[in-house]
Amino acid sequence: MTTQDAGTDAHETAPAGDGEDATQSLLEREGDIAADYLEVLLDIADLDGDIDIDVEADRASVSIIGDGLDSLVGPAGATLDALQELTRLAVYRETGVRSRLMLDVGGHRARRRAELATIGREAAERVLASGEPERLAPMTPFERKVVHDAVAEVDGVISESEGEEPERRVVVQPA
Amino acid sequence: MLTEALDHLVRGIVDHPDDVHVDLRERRSGKVLEVRVHPDDLGKVIGRAGRTAKALRAVMTAIGGKGIRVDLVD
Repeated sequence: MTTQDAGTDAHETAPAGDGEDATQSLLEREGDIAADYLEVLLDIADLDGDIDIDVEADRASVSIIGDGLDSLVGPAGATLDALQELTRLAVYRETGVRSRLMLDVGGHRARRRAELATIGREAAERVLASGEPERLAPMTPFERKVVHDAVAEVDGVISESEGEEPERRVVVQPA
Repeated sequence: MLTEALDHLVRGIVDHPDDVHVDLRERRSGKVLEVRVHPDDLGKVIGRAGRTAKALRAVMTAIGGKGIRVDLVD
């Protein structure tokens, strides 16, 4: 199986300043390239999974759906992050544009996102009740963003990040 | 299977896919996957601060088990 057929090359020559349509078609193309890359890997590794492609706001989103994919998630999602990194590079190789594609496997990120939103909301409520700032555990940039968004939903508290990666963490405090 | 999987992962991210060669060697210490790429692609496969090489190792360990080693041969 080839990763790219001649039919999709037309996108490459589309003018970059074409606005939303160009962005949309680039993101769709990112999803297709990623799906090809991952599909062949699943095949070789004899893993069962369906690949779902979507474009969310400003980035391509690719999910491998199925049971028995825990090995591709790994401890704390480390294997998933590695696979996402490689998939972004495979997309970059084809498009020449750095990709911010999000990969999910077996619903791991979706579950983690819900967990993080709960962590943010509960911390906000505790800070609101106590009036004392609270420092959360170190998180990745993406995880922190989910927490910041959840805290922003609660009136009377604000959140900031402090510290250096990989120890950077969210601090929730009274507004 | 392991050789084929790594070959696919590396081919997809380099500029010279036809120059990618992966060999499986059985060492006393365990299985070693040796990767050879075009000299111009070596930096790509290693990545900034070894990030890409680390990602390749993580995915191969996930697929093949803890005993697998990945060596980039230059």
